[in-house]
Amino acid sequence: MSDISRRDFLKLASSAVLTAAGLLGLAGLFRFLDAQTEPSPQTDFDLGSPEKYSIGSRTVLPDVPALLVRSQAGFSALSLVCTHLGCTVQSQSDGFACPCHGSRFDLQGNVTRGPAGKSLEPLRTGITSDGNIHLYTN
Amino acid sequence: MRRYFLLLASFALLLALLLAAWYQSVHPKPVALIPTLTGQVEYCLTCHSDLAQISNSHPVQTFGCVLCHGGEPLALDANLAHSTMRGGSNPSDFSVVQASCGGANCHSGTPESYSNHIQRATTSIQATYAGAIANILFTFGVQPDLTARLGIYAVQDPGSTSGITSLAAFDPASETNPYVKAFGQNCLTCHLSAHPLSGSVYFRFTGCAACHTPTQSADRTGTQQLQSSQIHKLTTAISYTQCDTCHNRGNYDLRAITFAPRQDLPGDRLHDYYQPIAQFTSCEWMLDCVDCHTRTEAMGDGSLYSSKLDIQYIQCKTCHGTPTELPQTRTLTDPNDLAFRLALLNPVVDLKLGDTILVTDKNEPLWNTRLLPDGTYQLVGKANGQVFPFKPVMGSACTQNGIDQTSAYCHTCHSVIR
Repeated sequence: MSDISRRDFLKLASSAVLTAAGLLGLAGLFRFLDAQTEPSPQTDFDLGSPEKYSIGSRTVLPDVPALLVRSQAGFSALSLVCTHLGCTVQSQSDGFACPCHGSRFDLQGNVTRGPAGKSLEPLRTGITSDGNIHLYTN
Repeated sequence: MRRYFLLLASFALLLALLLAAWYQSVHPKPVALIPTLTGQVEYCLTCHSDLAQISNSHPVQTFGCVLCHGGEPLALDANLAHSTMRGGSNPSDFSVVQASCGGANCHSGTPESYSNHIQRATTSIQATYAGAIANILFTFGVQPDLTARLGIYAVQDPGSTSGITSLAAFDPASETNPYVKAFGQNCLTCHLSAHPLSGSVYFRFTGCAACHTPTQSADRTGTQQLQSSQIHKLTTAISYTQCDTCHNRGNYDLRAITFAPRQDLPGDRLHDYYQPIAQFTSCEWMLDCVDCHTRTEAMGDGSLYSSKLDIQYIQCKTCHGTPTELPQTRTLTDPNDLAFRLALLNPVVDLKLGDTILVTDKNEPLWNTRLLPDGTYQLVGKANGQVFPFKPVMGSACTQNGIDQTSAYCHTCHSVIR
């Protein structure tokens, strides 16, 4: 085994440490460049095949939140965000009730009890080229 | 020498990078919340995800934290995040309440929308302390009558229905009368902007939270001397023990103009609460204060008053009627009746259209009462849900003159015997 000179040892050690620092620095740089801003709220919801929803069905979509209605005339949707302060209303047999401040809405989303002053917002739906039904909240 | 320096610099660089990586790893990943009401990202839940939801009416997914508390929503450093909070940990303190609870017109709306809470609370006798101040000024000859002129803070009421359109700020330091000065120094600890006495077992918060954030256990098993970080609750189910944080926490010594704080907590309400000479009915010791006293009496009606006697109006006959008249009632036919909203906030009763409830002389709904089919009534305790059946005076053997409603009259026959 050959002896390593003091000069070579220092050179090797410096190179090793600099390489490690460089790799760590690069990792940090990639992480910085790859940082994502908070995503914008989703406004387009793919609800899958229309066949999943039978005619006459009323499906609560908690992730939106919205109610998807399929009638003989087609699809329609209603936002389940209370028009008073934005709580999520709960679907009941005779309409919707807001658990926060007690507003009530009929099955069509019209206000039957305050403090909400406006009806639940109708949402746009459509069938896209992939054949799926989509719901739009904007 | 140059190689040594290079090696040293390389080590320093590596160490700095490792420290940065460690710092990143020990700090939590931001937890983002976008409240429906603001649509703005806030990272408060990164550290505060363990806090209980403050009430059903204020879900965090809708309100977030910043709307009420202020603060820096995107900061992950605690000091920076908290640096601009409103009212410290209590955004309901009256110094900031307009910006917090009143924000977005939530609690600073109109009487018609039942949302003028801040106007009512900040002009109430519990907030201005105008009655006690006027009494002291009158007693010691500083003012000629008991009409309020000064409050804890200056406040205007241009639309006054009481005749008092404004109060100037009471400044004990500028008073020359030594008794009034002493009153200012020793006796201003129970209005809604006053912090409780240091170390008091009757701990409470200031502002709205003084009443609506429970700091005292309802069963008096021991006081909950909780810090605001430990309690995160707003409620209208207010136990009498919370009222006691001001109303039963000691006695004033009018000779020395001092306040002697009570050191104990009454464990047995019947025997420990009332002084031996006191006369009281079972309503007074079995019910909670809020079971009878209305929101208007407690929080005011938006006008300035000189005395609590000017705003309190509930009497025995409000619930029991008189020998010749039944108590006033209202059958709920309007789904927008205030009774429904109040019952929703504290669902101890399931009010329905068609129910008949008692109402006060001012038509305020006593929403926790109900007329039963047999002509009797029931009251449900707002703080504990306990059901209390009761009967009208009419048809009983009572010969009381209906207009005599002060406690001396009804107590003559209906005092509790201990």
